[in-house]
Amino acid sequence: MKKWLYDSVRDVDQAPINRLRRFPREPDMLVYGLRSLGALIIRGLLHIYNHFEIIGHQNLRTNRSLVIVANHCSHIDTLCLLAALPLRKLHRAFPAAASDYFFQSIPRLWAAAILVNALPFARQARVRQSLSLCRELLANPGTILIIFPEGTRSTTGEVGEFKSGIGALIAGRDVAVAPCFIDGSFQAWPKGKRFPRPRKVRLVIGTPRNYCNRGTDKFDICTIAAELRDAVNQLRPANGSR
Amino acid sequence: MSPQIALHDPVFRNYFWIVLISLAIAGAVLGFLRFVLKKETASMFKTYWSWILIAGIGFIVVFLGRIPTIVGITLLAIYAFKEFANASGLYRDSWMTGAVYTGIITVGIASLISHPRGEEQGTGWYGFFVAVPAFAIALILLIPILRNRARGELQRISLAIIGFVYIGWMFGHLGFIANARNAYGFICYIIFATGLTDVAAFTFGKIFGRHPLRSEISPNKTWEGALGALGVAMILPWLLRFSFPFFGGWQLILTGLIIGIGGQLGDLSISVIKRDIGTKDMAATIPGHGGILDRIDSLVYAAPLFMYMARYYYPLR
Repeated sequence: MKKWLYDSVRDVDQAPINRLRRFPREPDMLVYGLRSLGALIIRGLLHIYNHFEIIGHQNLRTNRSLVIVANHCSHIDTLCLLAALPLRKLHRAFPAAASDYFFQSIPRLWAAAILVNALPFARQARVRQSLSLCRELLANPGTILIIFPEGTRSTTGEVGEFKSGIGALIAGRDVAVAPCFIDGSFQAWPKGKRFPRPRKVRLVIGTPRNYCNRGTDKFDICTIAAELRDAVNQLRPANGSR
Repeated sequence: MSPQIALHDPVFRNYFWIVLISLAIAGAVLGFLRFVLKKETASMFKTYWSWILIAGIGFIVVFLGRIPTIVGITLLAIYAFKEFANASGLYRDSWMTGAVYTGIITVGIASLISHPRGEEQGTGWYGFFVAVPAFAIALILLIPILRNRARGELQRISLAIIGFVYIGWMFGHLGFIANARNAYGFICYIIFATGLTDVAAFTFGKIFGRHPLRSEISPNKTWEGALGALGVAMILPWLLRFSFPFFGGWQLILTGLIIGIGGQLGDLSISVIKRDIGTKDMAATIPGHGGILDRIDSLVYAAPLFMYMARYYYPLR
């Protein structure tokens, strides 16, 4: 008889907390179960507490890789975008989260790694490495990346400048980019407040676009970022709260 | 079992003091080694702090009553299986792991509910509990048929079945014992005795260890440690006879043998698995102990044997 080949997890000797920090994550039925359960609860809460509404649902129907780009005012934004995805795609959706904020303290790490399936994104140093990690993920069809190109939560509710990294990620690549506008999340949970408030939140999903025939030099990248920012801003509902 | 009963139950209260005093003595010995004899004890202290944590959590759960105990044991079994799946590579097959999780949860449910046509509530459904492996194995064997795949499936089936039967079902007996009339005595005794036997094996091995027990499986275990642990396990039932006052001499001897030999065989069984996979510990969940599975390995083997022995002589209820 030949010896069986055991394909152990790479980090079998790591403490559980350190394993949560690792990315890409190993498949784990327990985590999938917790995440699906959490997603159902979050969806229910969003509908009841924030009268959550989605416009343009059909724009997310694709089996190819997709980058979702949205404005960022509060932690609710990520939950809203995840709530717009079908449950079976949940474990292939990776919201990019600041590694300095979400991957240090243990409660935040737990929420980011298990509930949200966040991708640790280095904001200050090693941005290039984070971007190449994103590209590797997008190479697998069916991956969904959720990116807030402002890089931080807005403190005024207005859409800030988009960082050029988003342009570098998608310029010259055949990957669909769906701009989204989240309306009301600033009123619902502004930065610095401890608990969310029961305000209406609306998610508008725009038609996906593609930047595969654009160059990758500095100027093109900045133009793409600016164009995306305009696209997001145009989705703002006319009668929406400001 | 409930908090009100636990507060006034002499067995539970006795065990509380026994464990407290044992931990205090162990702490004193470790302190003596470190500060008087100036020995290197850092790793032993790490293990010791984890023991204190385990004892605290264990007492709280058993104190809370029957349902928390069974739920706690089930969660522990789920986590132990997760470690086994991670180490053996079964975790990549989400259908197989899902089937085993379902099986382990079913074991927990069978311990919680009572027979649908039984008169007494909250006694566990023994017939179903004993039958769960048949259903779980049927479910596991169904998976390759449903997905129409044969290549490499025997390995997955085998890993899933041993994971369920050994780690899920056999360990689940500890939860079923919570239904016994003498639950406090049985549960506290099994956990305390296997823990003490493990420590005794380590201590005797450290002091007198010369001859390797099973050199190919676990190089650090010695005959001296094993025999010392067996000696402790044989004396313990007589010292703690208040845990099961209805046991006769023959039952006490069997108890000693089951904990003393069964516990160490459980340790070695997990070592066989680890050795073949090629890892030192199953995981690094508890500092100084390794994974959950490394901690409960003796219980997994000894708890079902003890339960069936006790049940053969005296009805659990």
